[in-house]
Amino acid sequence: MFDLPSFNIPIYVFLFVYGAYMLFYVLYALFNIYHLVRYGVYGFGLYLIVTIFTGGTIILVSGSVFMLMEYDWTYPISSGTAVDFYNEDLFPKL
Amino acid sequence: MMRLDQLPNQRADERVVLFLRRHWFALLSIVTAFTLLTSVPLLLGWYFWNVVEAWLQHDVIGPVIVIVGSIYFLSVWLFAFLEFTDYYLDTWIITNERIINIEQQGLFNRTASELDLAAVQDATAEIRGIWQTLFTYGNVFVQTGAEKSRFHFKNIDNPEHVKEVVNALVEEDKRRLSALGAGARGKMKTVIK
Repeated sequence: MFDLPSFNIPIYVFLFVYGAYMLFYVLYALFNIYHLVRYGVYGFGLYLIVTIFTGGTIILVSGSVFMLMEYDWTYPISSGTAVDFYNEDLFPKL
Repeated sequence: MMRLDQLPNQRADERVVLFLRRHWFALLSIVTAFTLLTSVPLLLGWYFWNVVEAWLQHDVIGPVIVIVGSIYFLSVWLFAFLEFTDYYLDTWIITNERIINIEQQGLFNRTASELDLAAVQDATAEIRGIWQTLFTYGNVFVQTGAEKSRFHFKNIDNPEHVKEVVNALVEEDKRRLSALGAGARGKMKTVIK
């Protein structure tokens, strides 16, 4: 028999991935808004479009942050507990 | 920001006759894709709520689900906005002196060209297929004297009417130039590429 190497990673590492994505999102969104404002036709519609997009983004990000705040981010993923993820409560037979 | 009353290189007595974008059917395809991409996961989550609730309460799976879900919905929102920007910035402006064609290709390519009405030889309207026939949209091709240079108004509303307007403006422009004794001096040029 052999022993699996033990590891212990806090779940906040997922936040780094999320942070990297948010950086990409913000850059892309700002670039897109710049395009609209720079080349769009002047008028109320243009401001409405930018406001709707920004509003939608704020709602989505706030909702996500609100849900993410519920979790304990210091909780570790360890080799010992990894097998506990698979059980009938989490993955019931369909 | 572009203003229709202050066009780039606007000439004296030049006025905008038509301002065109693609038909709203193009917008409908973006809205349909957005609705499907958001509603399907939400409906699945609602149908399997007992399982999803157990996942969300788990100390490790819960945060992963929320992060993946957030990235997914933000990506759909961004994708829809990018597609809308592409639609919104593709415009054709027909004035009493020239045609301006502005095309946004993705986020990093933009082409703006203009064509003097005096250079136009003919305009052709094209309506193809059941959807274009039902919703009265299609293409207009504006042909110049040069063999390969032609403007393509893609999926615009009422192409027949646009073709007639272009032809009428071309005739009017030719009469005006003849009266001035200037002759047909039209040219097509790309302003930004």
